[in-house]
Amino acid sequence: MPTKDEVFQKIQTALVDALGVDEEDVKPEATLVGDLGAESIDFLDIVFRLEKAFDIKIPRGELFPEDILTDSKYVQDGKVTEHGLSELRQRMPFANLDEFSKNPVVQDFGNLLTVADMCRFVEGKVEVTD
Amino acid sequence: MRFEGKTAVVTGGSRGIGRACVARLANEGAQVALIYHSNQQAAESLVAELQSAPGKVRALQADVRDLQRAHQLIDPLFEEWGHIDVLVNSAGIVRDGLLGAMTAEQWREVIETNLGGAFSYCHAVTQPMMMMRRGSIVNLSSTSAEFASRGQVNYAASKGGIDGLTRALAKELAPRNIRVNAVAPGMIETDMSQVVRGIAGDQIKKAIPLKRFGKPEEIAAVVAFLASDEAAYLTGQVLRVDGGLSLGGY
Repeated sequence: MPTKDEVFQKIQTALVDALGVDEEDVKPEATLVGDLGAESIDFLDIVFRLEKAFDIKIPRGELFPEDILTDSKYVQDGKVTEHGLSELRQRMPFANLDEFSKNPVVQDFGNLLTVADMCRFVEGKVEVTD
Repeated sequence: MRFEGKTAVVTGGSRGIGRACVARLANEGAQVALIYHSNQQAAESLVAELQSAPGKVRALQADVRDLQRAHQLIDPLFEEWGHIDVLVNSAGIVRDGLLGAMTAEQWREVIETNLGGAFSYCHAVTQPMMMMRRGSIVNLSSTSAEFASRGQVNYAASKGGIDGLTRALAKELAPRNIRVNAVAPGMIETDMSQVVRGIAGDQIKKAIPLKRFGKPEEIAAVVAFLASDEAAYLTGQVLRVDGGLSLGGY
């Protein structure tokens, strides 16, 4: 059973390998897109590495909800609708969507997800000890 | 040897162009897994034939339309080999007929095998190749995608789809140093083209500047080049290998 520190370290390694960033850049508050420069192909790479590192399965869209953000059911005029926000909250209980909800521009979504969010996501999928 | 220490998966590897690709890659040192559908005898005979080749060959059965089965084969290969360097999507069928008389099944079988099969195996190797930050995918297209023949709407559509898949996937995977290209053969001496060559062979030869049909080994040579490090700066391309057939004109 990993500790929270061990979870962070494995995620840090996965992000360093996937994004080619330095270890010291991967801080809990760092955003994947804004601070670490992740693009769409990087998200897929990150999911693959997390699956291998933690021996878990991450269904596509569970960590990075591209399907919601590209669905006209949930997005209008470049903004996520109330319906879309409700879907996002359900899909991403590990992320804080309060700031994003105030002005839910799809293009800004990438700046939402932080390394700490990813840690919470993985902690929700594996048993951790403190 | 260009492929010493490398590994390759070849769909449709028991016959025709796929068979020639398996032989070429194994003789150049690659460990090869050939995927066959129903011709177990042909697959096993090829494995036996290549027993003393520099690269080891194994035959695995699958219907290439089955995405889950693709992962069931590829994931353990990745575990065992540690890397998957080359994928050749050569599995393909024809179910010719004029569109107005074509059944939904004829249409579906060809699209799902020729195009869907490439999707299945590209999907399955994406994770291994991305983890390794390298790989080469070579898809078998056809000059039929661009130069129309009557009675092959389904086949032409499937190969046109292969061209589109090749370009789009090349763009997606380039940031991970994975190249994706296609070879578009013209008229090649295989079982698949036997009927057409029998009916209109002489007429077709007249239209080919090199005045002959191609051999599977000649296509395999181009596939091997695209799969190799010699083509390190080549991605997203569809190379016509057709004796000049597509030149048209006089």
